[in-house]
Amino acid sequence: MSKKHASVKALRVKRSVKDWLNLKKYWPLYVMMLPGMIFFITFKYIPMLGSVIAFQDYSVFKGIFGSTWVGLKHFRDLFSYAEFKRVFSNTLILGLLKTVLIFPIPLILSMMLNEIKNLRLKKAIQTSIYIPYFLSWVIVGGLIFDIFGSGGLFNNFRNALGMDTVLAMQKSSWFRPIYVISSIWKDSGWGTVVYLAAISGIDPALYESASMDGASRVQRMRHITLPLLLPTILTLFLLNIGSFLELGFDQVFNLLTPMTYSVGDIFDTYVYRVGIQKGQYSITTAVGLFQSVIGFILVMTFNKLANKFSEDGGLW
Amino acid sequence: MKWKQAIAGICTGAMLISSLSGCGNTTSAPEESAVSQSQSGAEAVTKEVAEEVVDLEIWVTNTGHLPVEKDSPMYNFYKDLIGVGIIHPYVEWNGGTTYLEQLNLRIAAGEMPDMFLPYGGLETSLIENGALLDLTDLLPEYAPNLWNLIPEDVWNAMRAKDPSGEGRIYIIPNINDYGRNGSMIRQDWLDNLGLSMPTTQEEYVEVLRAFKNDDPNGNGIQDELPTGGRAEARWMEQLFGMYGVAMWEGYPEWDIYDGELTYSAVTSNMRDALEWIASLYAEGLLDPETLLNDKPAWDAKIQSDRVGNWCHLPQESYIYAEAMEAATGVQPDIAILPTISAPGYEGTYYGRRVNSIGWAVKNTDDEAKIQAIMKVFNAYGDQSLWQTFNNGLEGMHSEMVDGQLVRLPEDKSTQQKLVLEPFNGVGTADFVIGLLEEQLSEEREWSVSDSIRNIKDLQQYVKFPAGDGIPSSIYNDYPDIQNRSLYVEYASKIIVGEFPIEKFDEFVEQWYATGGTEVTKAAREWYDMTQQNN
Amino acid sequence: MKESFKDRLFQSIITVILCIWAFIALVPLISVAAMSLSSKAAADLNIVNLWPIGFTFDSWKYILGDNALWRAFWVSLFSTLLGTAAALCITSLMAYPLSKADFPMGRYVMLLVVITMIFKAPVVPYFLTLRTMGLVNNPLVLILPHMLTAYNLAIMRTFFKQFPLEVEEAAQIDGCGYFQILYRIILPSSKAILATVGLFYAVTLWNQFQHPMMFIQDTKLFPLQLKIRQLIGGGTELASVTMASKVNYSEATLSSAAVLFAILPIIMVYPWLQKYFAKGAMLGSVKG
Repeated sequence: MSKKHASVKALRVKRSVKDWLNLKKYWPLYVMMLPGMIFFITFKYIPMLGSVIAFQDYSVFKGIFGSTWVGLKHFRDLFSYAEFKRVFSNTLILGLLKTVLIFPIPLILSMMLNEIKNLRLKKAIQTSIYIPYFLSWVIVGGLIFDIFGSGGLFNNFRNALGMDTVLAMQKSSWFRPIYVISSIWKDSGWGTVVYLAAISGIDPALYESASMDGASRVQRMRHITLPLLLPTILTLFLLNIGSFLELGFDQVFNLLTPMTYSVGDIFDTYVYRVGIQKGQYSITTAVGLFQSVIGFILVMTFNKLANKFSEDGGLW
Repeated sequence: MKWKQAIAGICTGAMLISSLSGCGNTTSAPEESAVSQSQSGAEAVTKEVAEEVVDLEIWVTNTGHLPVEKDSPMYNFYKDLIGVGIIHPYVEWNGGTTYLEQLNLRIAAGEMPDMFLPYGGLETSLIENGALLDLTDLLPEYAPNLWNLIPEDVWNAMRAKDPSGEGRIYIIPNINDYGRNGSMIRQDWLDNLGLSMPTTQEEYVEVLRAFKNDDPNGNGIQDELPTGGRAEARWMEQLFGMYGVAMWEGYPEWDIYDGELTYSAVTSNMRDALEWIASLYAEGLLDPETLLNDKPAWDAKIQSDRVGNWCHLPQESYIYAEAMEAATGVQPDIAILPTISAPGYEGTYYGRRVNSIGWAVKNTDDEAKIQAIMKVFNAYGDQSLWQTFNNGLEGMHSEMVDGQLVRLPEDKSTQQKLVLEPFNGVGTADFVIGLLEEQLSEEREWSVSDSIRNIKDLQQYVKFPAGDGIPSSIYNDYPDIQNRSLYVEYASKIIVGEFPIEKFDEFVEQWYATGGTEVTKAAREWYDMTQQNN
Repeated sequence: MKESFKDRLFQSIITVILCIWAFIALVPLISVAAMSLSSKAAADLNIVNLWPIGFTFDSWKYILGDNALWRAFWVSLFSTLLGTAAALCITSLMAYPLSKADFPMGRYVMLLVVITMIFKAPVVPYFLTLRTMGLVNNPLVLILPHMLTAYNLAIMRTFFKQFPLEVEEAAQIDGCGYFQILYRIILPSSKAILATVGLFYAVTLWNQFQHPMMFIQDTKLFPLQLKIRQLIGGGTELASVTMASKVNYSEATLSSAAVLFAILPIIMVYPWLQKYFAKGAMLGSVKG
């Protein structure tokens, strides 16, 4: 290639990057993003660099620069942990349950709430159902132990039906159902907030004209509400799938007993025992990295799918 | 417009908040002494004052009391008593987890406190990194009270923690020089049913059956729980002890089995104990919710006059007794159940002498600081001062009653942390009994004197296991062995009957395979080393 | 127009289900309230369920009479109000550019944002970074770290995306720049989303305890949740001899009262915000 040709090509590349950035047209947008970018860099990206300690035998005394490098040792230890398969599959199963059973509930609840005509009743119900979100899992967990205890509602009910008492919190077969139901009970109400906000943006005229055409409530839900909620649903789904393997320590920890370890021990509780309680930051970070990488792969995959499914449906 | 308002709001708000932090103390401390003159001011006035008071930052377990800031009432209290300024910031304890994290963060930032409780085995890596002060020669010379108070063999256990093998002492232990936990039984129930104190295991089981079936609490309902414990098979030493299983509050200990130092959870003692306990559970002689009980739940059952035999601290039995009276009107008679031996074994109650690590000191060359720290330790070990330490500040922690200082009940919103509690760090039966005798009033005689008697009765049955004081460093690289999670899982399932006893052998195999072998080796090496030092 | 029978049945079934749900959802709150009004003896015996036993106001008297707790309340209130306002500003500023489909940088920035949501920094480097910024014992640490979350940003962006393009284009033709479009046209029509995201930030700010736990040492600066953790929930220390109290409250009753004290204010916010969720909030924009 001649020198002139090369420099023209380079100039063209440079110009197209500049065109692409299009500072002249978009400069206000860049300025708008600036505070947020600064925030993300200082509060997120810089500390994130510290994740290298997952590859070290980090000692707080020696700091990052003084600690020895051990490469993939912690990951090897994690994978060779005797109960790794169990922890992984428990986390996976609970994650699936969360996505399939728990995720749709706030959506369904919001659509149901949308059907209530009496505004006062609607407001009252909305406020009640989101209250459990504010109570910590310590409290709700304690309540659940009480309910499923020998003198609690659950067993009183069973006894009334002639069945014998079952201490459900000790039985591994009850753990997952209790996990799902308690999660729905506690957090779904709060999840309706976003959907209700989205629903409020739907033009009532659409509903009116549809009902004039003879559409039933169910049909209106299916053909108006649901499609218009789709972008919100997709966004929330993508946001949630990123933390697929991070189930939230609090809930499982407060529901777990040694007798249900076989189904309830997840990454978060494992890392609490082995990492956090002992101040072993390298292990904690390594497990966290592992969870994040899987979550990231999932988000990327589903984001692509979302983009195919609906124009611009993905996050990026 | 929303914008501009918001920005203006933020600015004013930020100013407001920063001014708030400068505001005066609005905590309702009942006694606000006049702000003491700054030390340099005092010195300028009196040239005879020996040294300037050195300030030390001390971190200890604090479950919610107010911090001790410079020139606060407790700061002055300690300054007057010892001559050292003690500053104690509030660091959330949260079972040790938050405390450990905070400590680690400070160390990472290069701000390690001067004296602190090295929770979570932190001392091991700190010693390795030369971060702790060598106390070996300083203690005998400058803090003889403390040096002489703690027995020689315990100091040797501390020497064994030195990874360099030179036997230097870097940490001060917390010890309990007496037996704290024991099996307690409702003497009044035995009397009601005309039974005598059981002496063999068979008799014991008969007593449990009688407790269950013959309505000893006399309320006409079969609500009695003959015995039980708490989740993770904790506080069940009344049962495990019959088989000579070394255990402390439910945590298996290391003791000599078949001539070698072994973890009690993997011995045949444990196997037979679990088999027996499982049979009790199946028969309904154990609270069915034993493995679900947390402390409040189990305490509630005891205090509602439903439990016949349990394991706990005799020095606190009066609290349960009084709570029971308040709740049900019954005045229980709680006595110590003398040890019973299961066939082929020797029944024991175990104590834990080296309870935990108490103090570590930041390495420093500052002579003044070192002297101040030694002064604190020396006062800490001075038993004549213990009552003073315990009573704290008059008006805040205690009040004058008939010319004597008596402790007030705990009130976290007004009381500053008693930073130095040597009676907890070096526990002796005498001090505890002394404190209880203070509580002996006419109306409380029935409950408190029982406690005093029980403490004395217990001591004859208590043994300290051979692995007492074993360092947590033997568990390095095997956190799950240290957590005993495998043990807890198998033991719980065996007791409730979900696993047959044969599963125990599987547990032992897995325990050794996942690190138990290495840990046992390290433990035995430690034991040999301490035997040499002795 | 009269509704068909099928529709009315449908609506009734839904209403009944929701009412039952709402009732069940109230159970934990009622249980906590009952505990907070019960006596020490009842709490110790663990017999309190949905109704107070040994009714007493003593726990509430203790909680409401603790000056330090009120101080923490005000700290939380200030930081929540300021933090929410600031966060809403910054979030909308960033969400708008990201919502413009023709803005090429938008996709990449969004990806970078999502990464921060998935990959978290370990606690020690995080602490050291913020410490270097001078945030230790600084009241600003109650606000600054919470100014943006990827989650809220994504939600706001999705909402902005749905804003009709014609209106924006019309404004551009009229000579409006991006700033003016955002502030004069989009924000006023986005009351529902601002209320939603604002509520999310407010709840996070009000409930925060991990940041203050790590960064604030001065107990006078503690926000409410942290102060409550100090006062209650710490357990009793290992005392040689515990002084039996003659008071009529216990750790359990105090903590119940404290929990209610902390959550009642924030629970009250949503009903008050609900007026922004009126139907057709964006209606005016399309016609105009």
